[in-house]
Amino acid sequence: MKSVKEKRPAGQKQYYRRKKVCKFCVERIDSINYKDVKLLSQFVPERAKIMPRRISGVCSQHQRLLNDAIKKARNIALLPFSTE
Amino acid sequence: MRNYEIMFIVNPMTPEEEIDKINGQLESIITSGGGKIDKLEKMGKRRLAYEVDKQREGYYVLFAIGANGDIIKECERRLRVIDAVIKYITVRVDEEVRRSEKIRAFRQKRAARRGGKPGAAQTQHSEEAMQ
Repeated sequence: MKSVKEKRPAGQKQYYRRKKVCKFCVERIDSINYKDVKLLSQFVPERAKIMPRRISGVCSQHQRLLNDAIKKARNIALLPFSTE
Repeated sequence: MRNYEIMFIVNPMTPEEEIDKINGQLESIITSGGGKIDKLEKMGKRRLAYEVDKQREGYYVLFAIGANGDIIKECERRLRVIDAVIKYITVRVDEEVRRSEKIRAFRQKRAARRGGKPGAAQTQHSEEAMQ
């Protein structure tokens, strides 16, 4: 009984977490354009911060491109820097 | 010669003719400097994501051009001078385009290679099944 407990420490529940996949890899989007507000706004939650990779599941290459695109879009007022 | 995109926002109060005049000025700068205009798009009025010059709206114009640094410099200087233009950005696009083309070519090559192999594997399987 005790050995089972040790194998499964408290807080580690046994449920199946779906593996996150990179949206851009799956949909074969290789260039992320700064003008595509509809696409970019999916990765900019309410506070207008860029969504971290650990939440969105975007791969590092695409996250880098996404970062650049979002920052360009912010410069030309397509996306906000922050919200009140 | 490199490919650039110049996007700028004009004050929404400015009349249409004024915007056309600005576009004409930029066009003449680009063509006289030896550049070429691939696309001129008036994207129209849009809501700005944040306030710029006390404006909540702006008239977006997009130029896609092939030019060199001197032309870009002159265009930016001109945009800065014109009062109606409240914001502008210049983005170099040729590297991006080249990169995505490379990826696409690579993907096609791989797809072609893969397209050959699974077929062969399948025939082998069916042969085994037959035996």
